[in-house]
Amino acid sequence: MSQSPPDKKSWRPTRRQFLLGLGVGGVGALALGVPAMQLGIARWLDKGNFPSMHGKLDPTVWFELLPDDRVRLHLPKIEMGQGIHTALAQIAAEELEVPWEKLEVVHASTAHGPVDAGATSGSQTVTGLFQPLREVAANLREMLRAEAARQLGVPADSLVASGGTLSVQGQPERTLRYGEVVAKHTGTWEVPEKPPTLKPVKDFRLIGQSMPRVDLEAKLTGQGVYGYDQRLPGMLYGAVARPPRLGSTLRSANEGKARQQPGVVAVVTEGDFAGVAAESRAQAYAALAHLELEWTDGESVQQADIDALTTVKEGEGVIVQEEGDAPAHLGQGKPLSAEYRTPMAAHAHLEPQAALVEVKPERVRVWMSTQAPGSIRKQVAKALEREEESVEVLPTHIGGGFGRRLDARAALEAARLSRATSRPVHVGWNRTEELRQGFYRPPTHHQLRASLDESGRVLAFEHHQASGDVIFSMAPEVVATVMGADFGAWRGGTLQYGAVPHRRVRAQRVRLPVPTGPWRGLGLLANTFALEGFMDELAHAAGEEPLAFRLKHLGEDEQGRRWRRVLEAATTRASWGTPAPEGRARGLACSVDGKTVVAQVAEVSVEAGRVRVHRISCAVDCGLVVNPDGATSQVEGAVMMGLSSTLLEQLTWKDGQAQAENFHDYPLLTMADAPDIDTVFVGEGETPLGMGEPPLGPVAAAVANAVFALTGQRLRSLPLKLA
Amino acid sequence: MKLIINEREYEVSDENPARVLLWVLRDELGLVGTRFGCGAGLCGACTVHVNGVATRACISPVSMMEGARIRTVEGLARTGPDGKPVLHPVQRAFLDVQVPQCGWCMSGQMMTAAALLEQNPSPTPQQVVDAMSHNYCRCGTYCRIKKAVLSAADKLAQETKP
Repeated sequence: MSQSPPDKKSWRPTRRQFLLGLGVGGVGALALGVPAMQLGIARWLDKGNFPSMHGKLDPTVWFELLPDDRVRLHLPKIEMGQGIHTALAQIAAEELEVPWEKLEVVHASTAHGPVDAGATSGSQTVTGLFQPLREVAANLREMLRAEAARQLGVPADSLVASGGTLSVQGQPERTLRYGEVVAKHTGTWEVPEKPPTLKPVKDFRLIGQSMPRVDLEAKLTGQGVYGYDQRLPGMLYGAVARPPRLGSTLRSANEGKARQQPGVVAVVTEGDFAGVAAESRAQAYAALAHLELEWTDGESVQQADIDALTTVKEGEGVIVQEEGDAPAHLGQGKPLSAEYRTPMAAHAHLEPQAALVEVKPERVRVWMSTQAPGSIRKQVAKALEREEESVEVLPTHIGGGFGRRLDARAALEAARLSRATSRPVHVGWNRTEELRQGFYRPPTHHQLRASLDESGRVLAFEHHQASGDVIFSMAPEVVATVMGADFGAWRGGTLQYGAVPHRRVRAQRVRLPVPTGPWRGLGLLANTFALEGFMDELAHAAGEEPLAFRLKHLGEDEQGRRWRRVLEAATTRASWGTPAPEGRARGLACSVDGKTVVAQVAEVSVEAGRVRVHRISCAVDCGLVVNPDGATSQVEGAVMMGLSSTLLEQLTWKDGQAQAENFHDYPLLTMADAPDIDTVFVGEGETPLGMGEPPLGPVAAAVANAVFALTGQRLRSLPLKLA
Repeated sequence: MKLIINEREYEVSDENPARVLLWVLRDELGLVGTRFGCGAGLCGACTVHVNGVATRACISPVSMMEGARIRTVEGLARTGPDGKPVLHPVQRAFLDVQVPQCGWCMSGQMMTAAALLEQNPSPTPQQVVDAMSHNYCRCGTYCRIKKAVLSAADKLAQETKP
C-alpha cells in the first residue's frame, strides 16, 4: 500500500510516496467541479503515473538466506513470460552483492512472502519495484555487514561486501560468507536507521546485462508446474455447467442422473452454480449432461447491437486532454475528419483458466495460474465465508496472462467443489469455456477531426473515442462515477505532438451488455491505431512525408525530444527514405504507454489479396534497460500479438453467444506470418520504465500506414481487410 | 493395456479405449509436461512423438497407441553417463536462444521441431516455417523458435559428424 505505518518488527517505511488513483484529484480539485477534477486525474495518469501498491518492504519477508549460501528471493509479482523474475533477481543481486548463480527466485505464497495488494499488470513490475527492491536488498546487505562486524570485532565500514561474502579490507583471510554470518547470529536483527547507500548506475555489473532467464530450464524440460498441472494425492476433477447465453441464470437445478454417472463423487447445486466433482476430468464433464438444469432466457445480443452502442455521440464523454481551444479552431483552415474502429478480441492465452484447491477445516490452499494472488485469496475467503488468513494462495507458473488471469472463477469453482467433497479439486477450463466465458478487449470507435493551416501544419486536433469498459469493469462503481472516463480505455489516446496548439481528447464510456476488461496494453493498440493512422492522413493531406510531418509537430520539451529520438532510430533501422524492395512499402507509427515511447516501421507487401508484413523495425525508449535480451523478447512478443489483432482477430457475438468455440473460428497468427523484428533501445536515465505492453502500441497503425503507402487504400478498421 | 512411453512400459486401464492420450499422460500417469491447449488438434501444445511422428495427443485415442513408441517432452533429454540428464539439441538451442516466455506451448514446439529434424536433419528456413506453422505461441516467440530450430539442426550436424 502507499506507505506502510512504522512498525517496530517490520521495516522502515519507504520514503517514496505512492499515490492512489482516487487521491490524485484531492479535495482542492473537487472545489473546481467534476470535469476539472476528471481532467486533473487524467493529466496525472497521462504523464505515465500509475496507482501503485506494494507489500511491506521487510527484507526478512522477501529474502531467505539458506545454509548453503543460496539466497532465495520471494516475489509477489507473477512471472508469466515477461522475464520479470530474472530482471528483479538482477536488481536484487546487484545490491545484495551475491553471485548470480546463488540467487534463486520463487513466487511468494500469500502466507509467507510479500503480498501484492494489486496485480501483476500494467507493465509496472520492474519500474515499480526497481527502487524498493534495491533498498530492501541494500538494507539486508547492511544488516549482514553490521552483524559480521560484530562477529569479527571490526568496524562495519572496514568490511567489503562482494560475492556473497564480507571481508575485512586488505585482509582477505578475514572473510565471512553470508551463510556463516547468519548461522552465527543470535538474537534479533537490527534494522539500520540510515537509508542505505545505493550503487551508482556506473557501477552496475548485473543490471544492464542480458542474464539468462531464471525460469527457462523448468519450462524446457516439462518440469515446470503450471496451474493446470498441479496435483495432490486423492484429488478430484471438477466441471461446471455454463449458461447457454449471455445473462442466462439458473431458474432451477436438479441433480438428475448426474450423481449416478461413472466416477462422480459429488454434485453441487448452490444458487447459480451447478458443478460436478469426479475421479477424472472426462467423467466430470460427461456428467454435466445428466444434470437437469433450467436456464433463464438471458440476452439475445447481436453483433449489430454492440456496434451500434459503440458509437461516438457528439458532446458525450469526459475531456481527458485539453490544450488550447480545439473547438474554436477546428473550423479554421483545411478541415479533415475520419472514423476508426477496432473489434473485440480474446486473450487466447494457451493455458486455459486452472486452479487446484484443497479446503480443510483449518486452512485452504489454492494453487493457481493467476496474476493477482492477493485478490484470489480475498475472493476465495469471501466465497467460503472464512478468515482471509486461513487461505493460502500459491501461484504457479502461468501459461500466459495478458489480463485474463485477473479472473478468480476457476479457484472459486474448485473451492466450492472441494468444500463439498472434502478432497482437493482441480478445475481446468476447456478451450470453449475459455473463449466463451471470458471477458474481452472492448470494441472501440474513434472520431477524429483536425484542421490544417495554410502552411500545412496541424492547427487543431480532436480525438473522441468511445469504448467498452476496461478497468471500470473490475472496479467499484464509485470509481466510474468519480472518474467518468475509463483510464484503461483511453490509455494511449491523448495526442502527444506538443507543437499542435489546440488539442482535445474526449473519452466516452460505453456500457455494453457483453463482458469486457483488461487485455494487454488496454486501449493502447486501438487508440494508437486511430491517432497515428489519422496523423498519416494529415501528412498525406498536407502533401508531406510522414516522418518529417511528425517531427515538425513535436514539442521542444523532454517528451518531444524522446519521440524524436525513437522516430529517428526506428526509421534509420528501417532504411526509411530509401526505396523499399520491389512490391513493398513502409509505414510509420509512434506511441507512448506509461512513460515508455516506441516507434515502429512496418514493411509490407500484398500477396494473394492478403497483407503480408515482412519486417518491423522498432525503437524503444524505456529508460534504463535492466535486461536487453529480455526486453527484446517483450518487443517481439508484443509485436506478434499486435500483428495478430491487426491482420486476423475479431471476436463477434450472435444470439447472446461469443462466436468463438475453439481456434478454428478464432485463429491466431502463426510463424508463417511472423515478420523479422529488429529492435533497438535508445533510452537514457537511471530508472527502468514499463516494457511488457508499450511495444504493442504502434503495430496496427504502422502496418495500416504501410498498406496505404503501397495500395492507396486507407484501412480504418481492424482487422485490416483490403478492398 | 500396455503403453511404451519414453522407453518405459506403463500399464493403463482398458476401459474407455476412446479416451485420448493427452489425459492418460497427464491425469493417469502424471506426465504433465505434455500440455493442453485446445482439445481439437489445432494449437499443437500437446504434440508428442508416436513412432517418431509428431502427433497431437489431445485427439489420439489411447486404443491406437498400444505397442507404439511414444515419446514426450519428459523423454526428450537423455540420461548421460554420469546419470545426469543431457538436454536434447533442440532443448539446448531453445535455451541458448532464450525462446520461451510463458512456456506453455514449448513442449509441443520442441516435439514438433525434434520430429522435423529426425526426418530432415538440415531443413531450410522455409521448411522450418512450414513444419512449425501449426503450433501456436500466444507470447509470440516465433522468430526465436525459427532461429532455435535452425540452430538445433547445426548442433545435430556437429554432433553426428564422423
